[in-house]
Parts: sequence; C-alpha cells; structure tokens
Amino acid sequence: MFETLHRYRYHYLMLLPGLILGGMFVFYPIVAACYYAMHDWSGFNSDKVFVGMGNFVKLFSDPIFWDAFKRSLVFLLGTVPLQMSVSLVLAVLLNNQLLKMSTWFRTMIFLPVVTPVAVIGIIWTFLLSPFNGPINGLLLDLGIISRPVDFLGSSATVMPSVIGVYVWKWLGITLIYWLAALQTVPDEVYDSAKLDRCRGARLIWYIVLPIILPFALAILLISAVGALNVFPLIMSMTNGGPFFASEVMEIFIYRTAFATGDGSIPRLGYAAAAGVFFGVVVLSLTILQAIATRRARASAKQVRS
Amino acid sequence: MTSRNRSGLSRRAFIQGTTAIVAGTALGAGRSLAQTVPAPINTIAEGTTFRWIDSGDQKAVFYKKFFADYAKDRGVEVVYDALPWNEIAQVVPLGVRNNSAHDVFALPQNVNPADAVAQGWVQPYDDFIPNIDEWKAGFPDGAFLPGINEFDGKTYGLPFTSNKRYGTHLLYNKAYMEAAGYDPEAKPLSWSEFRDASRKITEAGKGRYFGFIIGGSQLGRWSQTIRNMGRMAGASAGGDSVIEADIDFRTGEYVFDSDQYIAAIELLIAMQSDGSVFPGVMSMNAPQARAFMPQGAAGMILQGPWNIGGWEGNNPGFDFGVSSGPVPDEGPVGKLTIGQGALAPNTMWLFKGSELGPIAGDIFHYLGTLEGQTAWANIVGAGDPPIFPAALDGAEMSARSKAILQHFNDAIRVGPNPIVGNAELGKVIGSFQAPEINFARTVQGLVAGELKGVAAEMKGLKDRYNASLDAAFAAAKADGAQVDRSDLVFANWNPDVDFGAADY
Repeated sequence: MFETLHRYRYHYLMLLPGLILGGMFVFYPIVAACYYAMHDWSGFNSDKVFVGMGNFVKLFSDPIFWDAFKRSLVFLLGTVPLQMSVSLVLAVLLNNQLLKMSTWFRTMIFLPVVTPVAVIGIIWTFLLSPFNGPINGLLLDLGIISRPVDFLGSSATVMPSVIGVYVWKWLGITLIYWLAALQTVPDEVYDSAKLDRCRGARLIWYIVLPIILPFALAILLISAVGALNVFPLIMSMTNGGPFFASEVMEIFIYRTAFATGDGSIPRLGYAAAAGVFFGVVVLSLTILQAIATRRARASAKQVRS
Repeated sequence: MTSRNRSGLSRRAFIQGTTAIVAGTALGAGRSLAQTVPAPINTIAEGTTFRWIDSGDQKAVFYKKFFADYAKDRGVEVVYDALPWNEIAQVVPLGVRNNSAHDVFALPQNVNPADAVAQGWVQPYDDFIPNIDEWKAGFPDGAFLPGINEFDGKTYGLPFTSNKRYGTHLLYNKAYMEAAGYDPEAKPLSWSEFRDASRKITEAGKGRYFGFIIGGSQLGRWSQTIRNMGRMAGASAGGDSVIEADIDFRTGEYVFDSDQYIAAIELLIAMQSDGSVFPGVMSMNAPQARAFMPQGAAGMILQGPWNIGGWEGNNPGFDFGVSSGPVPDEGPVGKLTIGQGALAPNTMWLFKGSELGPIAGDIFHYLGTLEGQTAWANIVGAGDPPIFPAALDGAEMSARSKAILQHFNDAIRVGPNPIVGNAELGKVIGSFQAPEINFARTVQGLVAGELKGVAAEMKGLKDRYNASLDAAFAAAKADGAQVDRSDLVFANWNPDVDFGAADY
C-alpha cells in the first residue's frame, strides 16, 4: 500500500488542494451540521446542550416544518415538469438547423439564466405589483380581471407566481441541456427514420426520446435539485409570506437559524436538524436518479443498436 | 488619518444606505452640520484603528461626519460599519467568538444585555471616563438602570438616544386629507375617522392613489400598529422587551385578547374590505411602503418620525402632515408605555477584547454632553431624538419634527421595567422563545384572510404566549434564577404617569 502511495505521490499531491478545500467547505459543514443538529443551541452563546435526536423528534411533530417541507415538494412538482416539457419543445424547435434566427432565440431564452437571481426577484416584484404593475395593467386592459390581482400578497397566487418566475428564469439552462442531448442523436438515425417515413411527432416520440432518455433523467435530477434551492428568489420576492404561504424548507431553515423578530431567539441546533433531514431527502433523490439513469442508459443502448 | 465607511450590499442595506446618504446630503444643504470635536479626555495613541458598528439609518449621517473629523483631530483611523439588524445578528456574535469584533457595537436585538455581560462579550467603561458619576448625573433619570446598562455597579451600555418615540404615528398627504374633510393636526383622527378618511381618499384617487399603506411583508409593522392602537384605545401594557410587551403590569397578564386589540385588528380588516388599503401591501416592506407616500400613491401611513427628515430633505415639494396615531372614538386616549428612557437598540457597548477603551470613552463622553447631544439633534432630528431634553431646545429642527416630539412627550410614559425590580429576569428573557405563529404573524394572517375569527385567534395567541413565558420562567428557575411571574406585576402602576425609581 505504501509502495503504491509512494509511486503515485505526485498524483496524490495534486489531489491535495481539492481535498483540503472540499474538506473545509463541504465535508466539515456537513459534519458540523450533524453535530449541531444534536444540540439545543441558539448559535450565539455558550449554552450548548446535547439533546441527541431530540431536535429531530421535535421537528417531526412540528406542523410548520411539515408545511414548509410540503411546499418544497409542491415547488419541485410545479417547476420541474413544466420547465422540462417547455424547454424540450423549444429545444426540438430550435434544434432545427433550418429555423431562421434560432441562435437569437436561444440567446434570448438564456438571458435570464445569467441575470442575478436577486435582480430577477426585484424586477418581477415590480412587474407583478397590483399597483401600476404592467402585468395587472395588461390583464385589466384585456378585461380578464376587474380588480388588480395581488399575485405575491395572496396565498392563492403566491406559489404559482413564484413557480412561474422560477421556470422563466431557468428555462434557458434546461434548454441548453436538451439541445446538447439532441445533438447526440446520430444523423443516420434521422435518415433511417425518414426512409421509413417516420416524421414529426412520431419521429420524436419513437426514435429521439428513447435515445435521449438517459440525458432526460440527468436533466431531471439537476432540475429537481435546483428546484429545492430557491432561497434567493423567494427571499427577494416574498420573504416566505404572506403568512408562511411561500415558506419553503430553505426559508424555514434560515428563519429558524438566523432571522428573528418579536422575541424569537435563533435555534441553530433545530435549524441544523431540519437542514440535515432535508439534505438526506435530497441525497436520496439523487441516488434514486442515479440508479434510474443507469437503467435508462442500458435501454437506450438497445434502441441505438 | 482617515475615516472609512462600509456598508453591505444587501437590498435592505442598499436602500438604507442610499436613504441615509441622500438624507444626509439634503440635510446638509438645508441645515448647519457644524460639529466641533472636543478636547480629548484620555490619552489617545495615534495610528490605531478604531471600529464601530451599528444599524446605520440616520445615525450614519451623524457618524460619517463626526468620525471623519474625530479621526483627523486625534490622528487615528475610524472604521464605521452600518449594517441592517439581521446582519448585525450574525456579524457581532461571530466577531466576539473569533475575538475580532468591532471595538464598539450595538447588541443584536435577540441578545439581552445581561447575557452579553455574563458571556463576556462586553466590558465596563467606567475606567475610561474620568469622574464618570458626575458625567452620568447629566443624563435624565432612568437613562442608566441596573440590569439594563449597569451590572454589578459598573457601567456597560451608553444610553444616548431617547426611547420617547413610537413608530406608528400618522403621516399623511395634506392635499388628500384636506379633500377628505379632515385636519389631523388640529384634531387627531379617531378610528372611525381614520377609516372614513381612507375610504374617501381612495374614492377620490379613482385607482391612482389609495387611502392607507403599510409595509405588510415586514412583520413587525403589524404588531407595532395593533399594539399602539390598542394601547391608545386603553389596553394598557408595556411594549419593549419580551417580559414587557403586551403585558398589563397591574395583573401581569397578556392583553392580546383585549377588546381594544381585537377592535384594532377588526378595523384594519374592515379597511381592507373597504378596498381603501393600498393594493399589494402584503408583499411590500416598510421602506417600499413609505416610498409611495411622496409619490402621491397613498394618503396615510402609520410610521415613525424618521420619515420626516428624509421627506423634507428628498421631497421638498411633498406637503405632508404629522399627528398622533388614530385615537379611540370615545373615552380617554391611553398612554404608550416604554420600559426605559433610553432607546435600547441604540445603546452602544464596548467589546471585552478591545484595547481601545480610551477612544471609546472619549467618544462616549462626547455623546453624553449637551454639546454632543445638540450636535446629534441637529443632524438626526426627530428620527432618533437625543436623550437630553435640553438638547432639543437648542437644536435646529423643522416645525413637523418639533410637533411630533411634543406629541411623543404627551403620548408616552415610562412604565415599570421588571428587570429593574429583579435583575435575574434577564435569564427569563434569554430563555424566552416566542411562539412560531407569533403576534405579528397572527395579525398579518388575520388581515390577509389566512386566519379567521379575530377573537378566537387572539385568545389562542395569548395561550401560546403564556405557555412560552411559563416555559422561559421554568428554564430560568432550572438555571438557578430566583424569578416568578409575580415579578411582572406592579399593582401600583398608573399608566398615565411615569413609573419612577421610588415606585419599585
């Protein structure tokens, strides 16, 4: 073993910076979060009491935590299918070399991706404003509504609004993934399909989609994990309100750990427990997706051959 | 040497910073900013870097000028950081933990002073101000209090601004109000008139402007508004720390389910139903809401005196009036109760790890003299009034500022402060965990229509707060504190008069 270590010492040396940085900024925080999750601690004083699994027990009986968890799932289910299907349709259209201005369309759709989330959040707050907001103005002018809609101030409309903004913001990145996936479909496959008079939707459904299925699962995974990381957008648009209506898990964790008011003291230990639980859920999702991707890749090979 | 100012880049910090800068520029244009740096009271080592952090706003306007002059005069560098409270809540504890905290800091709002002393965050500054007792005697009664800013006979906190202000008085568009047929400066609006004025202004606005606006996504606006309306309607209760807020000291019980609090919430719900509340208030914070006023988009806002200087400076064409918050339709107007003469969030503390106590003492001393207090009043005005009443006499201030400060003197009384009666209550404050669906959220939920049944919800809220308070007492007792809920009862309290040291 030592001989192997010695032989590859330069290789290991090259790995060292990554390991150190990963240790500092990835592994240590994970270990620290697990450690804090087992303590009743505000985070700012020395009164740190070991409570074992106590925080988790409390967490599982906390209806506000479960509501936030459900909202995260609703957000995930609301954004990912929409984002993937719309971007796939756009990718199929824009993948057509004969379509004029496809580069321009791609750029326009990608533009929100490179715009900072906080800027997007603030701009959309203005756009959706019930007072002089252009969206309400348009809906009023068209006679669709008779009174301005308080999109971000009503529990009925806040989640669909934030979901809509999120999908708009990240549509471009999913589009790029789909385009990359579509470009892996060999030209011969298209040519063969044409010879067999398989065109249009049938071509996409029976030929293209099975080939790009492994990519679809990878894109699904990336989109799903992305949809669970919506802290800056929701903070800049709604702060989790009104009355918890847009409080997803990350906002719950942040509010519990730091943001305080009206006599609340931070509960870093409790927030860490929520974070650990949420992390485990995301990790499970990732593992499931990895397994599914592997299986899909195997079946895609069969289609190609 | 130089003075350096930094501020965060968060949206709130940006808004606050911009407001402060613009206000400062405007104030500077219209009013003398003359400040003289007094002779040093301590030997100051040149070339050192002294750091100070607080929540900025209008304080920043004063400090930017003062610290620049001070640094130049003393041959030191002064770094002044103005951060929003949520960032102070992270920066200060981290700094203390890493022994790199600012020399002087404002305590995060969730850290009570007794804890800060017990945890070794701060040090007394008695040794850095010669004849400190004589200096302290210049402050009004109730500025220095054991358990608040004095511990074990030593002085820890600098209480230099007044707590005699409240953040929900009426600011209104004069033209709109006149058209609605009211003159709140001549006679404060009653609750019914407030609702009627809001309706009339909205009708006149025809969708271009509305009667009433509030920063409804900023939760504290809801609790403050209902608390102050309820207390002015006669639900006497404290309003400061968690062992005072909404507690009637005569009984030691919460007043959340009082008729006055319930009626105040129902009034806001009714105004919402009238359609006379600005659309979109639930997704708007306080700075956004108040920014709509000078634009003429809303007729009335219940806010604080810090708007006066900003609007007068930035929007000289905006004709606005200031008056008392809405008063009850009938019966006497209740007084608002404060727990101490000094504004707690502005109280400054000397970091235990700081070796620059002489500089801190030098600056603290100046801020606690009539000269320093007058310089403060000249710049900060009614927004953050100085604690020396005499400083207001000599200060240059607008008529609106003077009128609202006069109103504060009429409307506010110093009430009992339980921690003065029993310093060990600090452990209760440290253990108190407000219910997750707290007062502010409950009011927001009721006005937004997310919660139904005001009376039942407020009763439930009272039960939740009682459970939290009982748990905090139990935790403090388990920690060895000699405390009891009867410590919150002051049977001799008369809400209409100041509660002095002799009354404890």
